[in-house]
Amino acid sequence: MRAWLGPLINWLISNRLLILRDYIVSAASDINAAGGSNGDNPTNLGVSDFSLVATTLDTNNAYKFMSGIEGMDRFGTGPVRSAYFMLSSTELQSDFDALTGSGFLSVWNYPTNASALPSEYGSVFNIRILTSSEAPVARGVSAKGADVYYNTVTGKQGVTHINQDGYSMQLIYRDPYYSGMLAQNATLAVKFAQAQALTQDTAVRNLLATRNSSLGV
Amino acid sequence: MTEYSRMAKGSFTASASTAMVNLPFKPDYVELFNYTNIAAAPAANKTLRAFWDASLVVSSSVPTMLEIYNNSTVTAFDVITGTAANPGISAFSAGTLLQYGATQQIIGITKANPARVNVTAHGYSVGDTVIMQGLALASTNNMQLLNSVPFTIVTVSDADHFDVKWDTTGSNYTALTGSPAGALVKKVLYPFLYVPEDNVVTAVTTGSTTTVTTSMYHNFEVGQEVAFRVPSFWGPVQLNSLPNTLVPGSPVYGYVTSLTDNWTFVVNIDSSSYTAFSNNGTMTAATLPGLTYMQVLSVGDVNTGGNLITATSPLYPSPSFPTSSNRVSTINGPAIRGAFVNNTRQGFVIGAGVGTNNASAKIMAANDVIEWRAFLHDISSP
Repeated sequence: MRAWLGPLINWLISNRLLILRDYIVSAASDINAAGGSNGDNPTNLGVSDFSLVATTLDTNNAYKFMSGIEGMDRFGTGPVRSAYFMLSSTELQSDFDALTGSGFLSVWNYPTNASALPSEYGSVFNIRILTSSEAPVARGVSAKGADVYYNTVTGKQGVTHINQDGYSMQLIYRDPYYSGMLAQNATLAVKFAQAQALTQDTAVRNLLATRNSSLGV
Repeated sequence: MTEYSRMAKGSFTASASTAMVNLPFKPDYVELFNYTNIAAAPAANKTLRAFWDASLVVSSSVPTMLEIYNNSTVTAFDVITGTAANPGISAFSAGTLLQYGATQQIIGITKANPARVNVTAHGYSVGDTVIMQGLALASTNNMQLLNSVPFTIVTVSDADHFDVKWDTTGSNYTALTGSPAGALVKKVLYPFLYVPEDNVVTAVTTGSTTTVTTSMYHNFEVGQEVAFRVPSFWGPVQLNSLPNTLVPGSPVYGYVTSLTDNWTFVVNIDSSSYTAFSNNGTMTAATLPGLTYMQVLSVGDVNTGGNLITATSPLYPSPSFPTSSNRVSTINGPAIRGAFVNNTRQGFVIGAGVGTNNASAKIMAANDVIEWRAFLHDISSP
C-alpha cells in the first residue's frame, strides 16, 4: 500500500457519508435562523435558534440522543443538558465561540468529556454540536449573497438508510498486477447499495444560518 | 493503450432542441449524427453531425463543432461557442448538491403571475433551476421575498426574460427596474439529486381539496404522503403537520391525489375553513431576516421510490422525473418504495445553442433521430 492510499480511502469512504448528508439537505425541512444580528436571511446563529429547534423537536416527540451530564465540583465546568445532535461546519466554530457566556458551553467545559465525541465542539441548551469540514454549505445564496450553512438537528428516529441486497460497503483494492492486463494501474473503489428514508419527518430539521460577518472570513 | 477507456453509444428521438444523456461515466469526447437530417433532402441550416472534445478550450469555453448544410445547402462546418448563453454539447457529473453557476445581473422583475425576470442573455431553459439574491433588501417591498428561493423556470419568453412561480401582483410588491446593485441570479446546477425534495410553497388554493404550487418541480407521484411546514406569515397554519391542536403529538398528513403540472398538485386535505395563503404580508426593512418559508415535503411509507411493478410495466423500471410531463429516467434501478430516489448521475447534455456563422443551425430539433457515441479516453493530449 502506498502513502497516498490512506487519504484516498478516507475520501472514498466519506463519499458514502456525503450521500447521506446531501440526502438530508434535500429531503428534510428547513428553519431559517432568526436569532442573529447580521440582518441577513437566514441570520447568523443566536442562542434563541437553538432553543427554538430543540423546542420544535421536543414538541414533536423526538428522541434525544444523549442523556445529560451532571455538574461536578470542577472549575470552569457546568452541567450539560440531555441533547439532540447538530451537525455543523467547522467554519461556524468561531460563531459558536462568540456565544460563550450566553448559552454555548465548550466541550472542554463539560464536567467530564467521557461521553463527548471526537468531533464534538460544545453544546447550546438541548443541542450538542458536532463539527466537520464536510458539513453542507451553500455558497453565496443568502438574501445578501452570503454562504448559507445547513445545520442538521435530528432526533434518534428521524432518518435512516437501508443497506440493500444484504451488504453494506465493500472497499475494493486490486494491485496493478491483478487490476489490468498491462499491470500499470491499481484499482481502488468502494461500492455499496443504499437507500435513504425519513423515518419520522417531524424529528429532523435543517437549521439554516449565515455567519456573523464581524468575525471575518 | 485502452486499459480503462469507456465507450458508450445509443440513439434517441429528440423531444426538443435540448436533451440529457445519462451514462455511467463523464465523457471527454462526444459525437453524434442527426440521422433525420442526413436522410432528408439537403436543407439550409440543418446539422448532420456534431462533435465535442473537452480538451478543446477556446476563450474559456468548450465549443461544439458542427457539420451542416449552409444557407446554400452545401455541406459546411460551423461552431457553437459553448458559452452559458449559447450552449452546445457539455459533460456533467451530478454527484453533490449545493453547486451553482455563474452569477448574472438582474435588470428587473415585473409585477405579474408568474413573475417575469429580466436578465440580458440569461441562457436558461425551461426546467433550469435558479436562485436570486440582493432583491429589494432593506426596503418596504415584497420583492425581497424572492431572495434565496430556488425556482424552476416555468417559461422562457425570450433570450432576456424568464418566468418563475411567484405571484408578484400583490399591493405590497413594487416592480424592480434599472439593474439594482447586488441583484443577482445564478443557476442551481443539480437541484434534484435526491427526490422528492423539500420544497418552498408559492401558492395554496384552499377548498374541499387543497391545491399547492411549489417553486421548484415538486417531483411527487399520486398517492404520496406529504407534510407541510407553515410559519404564520404565510397564512394556512392549520396545514402544519405539527403541532396538531386537536390531537397533540399526532402529525397531520395529506396524500397527493392528482398532479396538475410539474409545479402544482392536489392534496386530499379539506382546507375550506383554513386561513388563506398570502405572500402579500407587509414586508419592511426589518421583516426578512430570519423569515422561514412555507414548505412541503414527502413523508411516510408511501412517499417515493420506484414505480410499482405490474404485469404491464417494465421489469425494473427506473424512476423518472419530473413527474407530470417531460419525464426523464434516472440512471438508477427501481428504488425502494418509501425511500427517496437517488438521482446522482453523469453523462452529457445537448444544448440549444446556434452556429457562429449560421445562426439558425442547431444540433437538433424535436422529432429528430439522433445517433450518439461517447468516450472517456485513457490518454488525452492535452
